[in-house]
Amino acid sequence: MVRLSRQAHQRRVMVAMAIYVAVFLWVWPLARSADALWLKSTYALAPVPPVVYVIWLMARRVLGGDELEQRTHLIGLGVAAGAVSVYGIVSGFLAAAHVFGADWSAAALVWIFPLLVVVYASARAYAARRYGGGACDEGMPTAVRFLYVAGLLTVAAAYIYWHKGDAESAGFAAGMAAGMLGGALFFALRQRLRRPDE
Amino acid sequence: MKNRVRELREKHAWSQGELGERLEVSRQTVNAIETGKYDPSLPLAFKIAKLFGQRIEALFEYDEETR
Repeated sequence: MVRLSRQAHQRRVMVAMAIYVAVFLWVWPLARSADALWLKSTYALAPVPPVVYVIWLMARRVLGGDELEQRTHLIGLGVAAGAVSVYGIVSGFLAAAHVFGADWSAAALVWIFPLLVVVYASARAYAARRYGGGACDEGMPTAVRFLYVAGLLTVAAAYIYWHKGDAESAGFAAGMAAGMLGGALFFALRQRLRRPDE
Repeated sequence: MKNRVRELREKHAWSQGELGERLEVSRQTVNAIETGKYDPSLPLAFKIAKLFGQRIEALFEYDEETR
């Protein structure tokens, strides 16, 4: 399998994420108004292909890595599997006991993959740092990646606010965008402080 | 595990990236091996030894203190 450079990998993931957000905002809502079951299912599952593509990219990255990279991937995936298991069992018990509404249960399921990706990336970065801090520092700077996600979430928040008037969802997206922006500032500042001569 | 990878790499005037290319591993992995933060697998250790024309025990030394 041809090994993708970290830059090429990140570029492809970012494009897939942008497509995912676009499909989620413009195609997925059509599922609620579609009558035919096949059309409803098609609209509802439209955001899945970009996610499957990202999973395939991740698998390709792991398989193409050397032994140390595969070890850090394994640590990341192991920690992520543990975190997702805890999340799954907690949200499952809460849903079964009807602590929150039915909509909440569906939303909890949608957040499984993002949670897995975030925990996997964080755990892998931590593991890589233990081996010398190099395995995750190539390619696009972390601050830029956070800024990109903040931009996507801002677009989503603005779209939801102006086109649907759903203040709660827009506020949630805007809050996450602000969090990502804070993360971008943190990582930019940290990089600046670590390399004052650059 | 103590090793002489950095010493031999510098003797050949290779960068970590160049050595990584020859061993088909990343520069980060070479760095982790050189700094003793990562002990390579047996196949990779043999590959390193072969590349430098050394016996494996001349390259890697078990260090009780680092365990």
